[in-house]
Amino acid sequence: MTHKERVLRALNHEETDRPPFQATFTPEFADRLRREFHLPEQRTEPHHRTWYGYDLEILTGQDALQAGGGWVTNYYLKPENYTDEWGVEWKIDPYETPFGTGHYTNIARNPLRDDDDLAMAYKAPDPLRPELYRHVERLVREYGQEYYIIGRVHGTLFETAWALRGLDTFMTDFYINPDLVCHLLDETGNYHRRMCLEMVKRGVDMIWLGDDMGAQQSLLIDPDLWREFFKPRMAAIIADIKKANPAVKVAYHTDGCNYDIIPDLIEIGLDVLNPVQTECMDPAVLEDKYGDRLCFFGGIAVQSTLPYGTPDEIRREIDWLKGTLGRGGGWLSAPTHHVQLDTPMENFFTMLDALGIEDKRPR
Amino acid sequence: MEELLDKIAHCVEVGKINLKTPFPPAMKGQPGAEELTLQALKEGIAPAEILTQGLIKGMEKIGVKFKNNQVFVPQVLMSAKAMGTAIKHLKPYFSDGSVAMKGQFIIGTVEGDLHDIGKNLVAMMVEGNGYEVIDLGVDVNTEKFLEAIKQHPDAYVGMSALLTTTMTNMEQINSAIKAAYPGVVTFIGGAPVTAEFAQKIGADYYTDGPQELVEILNRISA
Ligand code: B12
Repeated sequence: MTHKERVLRALNHEETDRPPFQATFTPEFADRLRREFHLPEQRTEPHHRTWYGYDLEILTGQDALQAGGGWVTNYYLKPENYTDEWGVEWKIDPYETPFGTGHYTNIARNPLRDDDDLAMAYKAPDPLRPELYRHVERLVREYGQEYYIIGRVHGTLFETAWALRGLDTFMTDFYINPDLVCHLLDETGNYHRRMCLEMVKRGVDMIWLGDDMGAQQSLLIDPDLWREFFKPRMAAIIADIKKANPAVKVAYHTDGCNYDIIPDLIEIGLDVLNPVQTECMDPAVLEDKYGDRLCFFGGIAVQSTLPYGTPDEIRREIDWLKGTLGRGGGWLSAPTHHVQLDTPMENFFTMLDALGIEDKRPR
Repeated sequence: MEELLDKIAHCVEVGKINLKTPFPPAMKGQPGAEELTLQALKEGIAPAEILTQGLIKGMEKIGVKFKNNQVFVPQVLMSAKAMGTAIKHLKPYFSDGSVAMKGQFIIGTVEGDLHDIGKNLVAMMVEGNGYEVIDLGVDVNTEKFLEAIKQHPDAYVGMSALLTTTMTNMEQINSAIKAAYPGVVTFIGGAPVTAEFAQKIGADYYTDGPQELVEILNRISA
């Protein structure tokens, strides 16, 4: 069975020899892993770079490979402070863990925060520049036979819009400035919709849409606001993708607790839900209620088990996920976010082992 | 008088800022927390009364609703805006002593961490319940916490963290605070934080959200 077949079967709700697997890493965790495999360090997030060879993904047994696109690829863009082409300013913030110093790139300034007129006049960049797709083309050409290819267009609507406007401001704009909200969601949404379609044209198997809508115990915003501002726009994007190629699966990433909008997501044609933070939603409930209509992608907890669990606890978690999210197929296993630097290496390889993935580290 | 104060409380609860703002739609074209507060002052109602029986009442109500998942972050932000706009007109009376705050509360998101929605919500709710809040912002290190306590030695201290990679900094900050100012009461919170963790690092309180925090503050500052 090729990696690609494993994913296709799982997404078709069939049992597979082992759950298909996919993961991303923060730059410093990736470099720790690279050292395990005697590979040179990279100090960057590579999924939108044309030069990237996916060596780490392949060595860690991943079945799906992803190419990033859209505003979100401005995370980890440079090692020093920068302003991206959308006008968002970024800075580098170091943090300490037991495994060394990490660096997050963080938004330092939201360019439209205090200026309603500027916001109403805002135009997104051009999504049709051919150079934005070279890495996708190469990924599909070189790996598309054997691996399942994901076009990851995270920050589809909400996150890019609030990066421009400021999250707290944007959250009150819903009530005070609804026209401004619509304008920014249309600008960011149209850019990313075009990008999805360009990726579909280039042969990706799945489009990853994403916007974090959940907090730990509830949605970040009222489900009614989501239904008013996001649901119709997402429905249109999903419909366009399916029209361009009905075989392409659509996944949606939203952190945290999203119970309130899952039926709506199914209604507008979503195939796959990511990342399923089990601290926030019960995988047994999800499988029972929606497992026949929705696939799950994620589940392996970066907020608890991966950094803090014992190897035994990690094995138990994987078994639990296999028996819930993975019952009868329908589960693409993955950590619930980039694996963070505070994760012990033993935990990572225990996770692989529990999933049935061979440890390929040189001995 | 009571009726007017109830109206003010209602405006804060539903996030009606002033005449101009279109939210909530049902109150379009009506006066908001701002105008009603000005009216109350004009009618000679004591500023302390307006604060406690009007603005704070409204904030208490929205806090309870948030805790019960009846409303979400955006509506709490609207309530905080309504309160913030109205309270500006009471500020002159704070310094002359005619309005007494219940205490001071220093808060910050700890070093390395930029998540501030939860921290801001806690700050607004604590302020909205009658405390002076000193908000140190995000990515706050030990020195900044200590400096703030030096300036406000009677303040309570709250720390927020949303990442497993940064909540460990709470341990260091909390120990430094306890070493330098053993009497200071500390609170910690944020999605990955637990009561066990608070106990382990010697922080005095962990709560899930702002409502429980305010209840504890009201109890220990009384
Ligand atoms: C929004 C968000 C972001 C936004 C933050 C924007 C902002 N201005 O705050 C952005 C996109 C910038 C972001 C970035 C990152 N994020 Co983030 N983010 C979230 C998300 C989706 C919601 C957090 C939120 O705002 N909740 C809403 C508020 C109201 O809730 P709250 O903060 O929990 O606060 C409540 C309580 O906790 C409590 N509380 C909070 N503080 C305090 C303090 C005291 C004293 C008390 C008593 C109570 C208290 O009261 C609040 C109200 O009830 C969570 C998902 C989740 N499950 O929480 C991920 C999440 C926290 N993020 C995560 C990650 C990994 C990151 C990044 C590291 C990604 C990366 N680059 O690899 C970066 C790090 C940036 C940094 N240096 O901090 C992970 C953390 C995993 C882990 N190991 O801990 C999470 C859990 C998502 C996941 N899939 O796992 N994120």
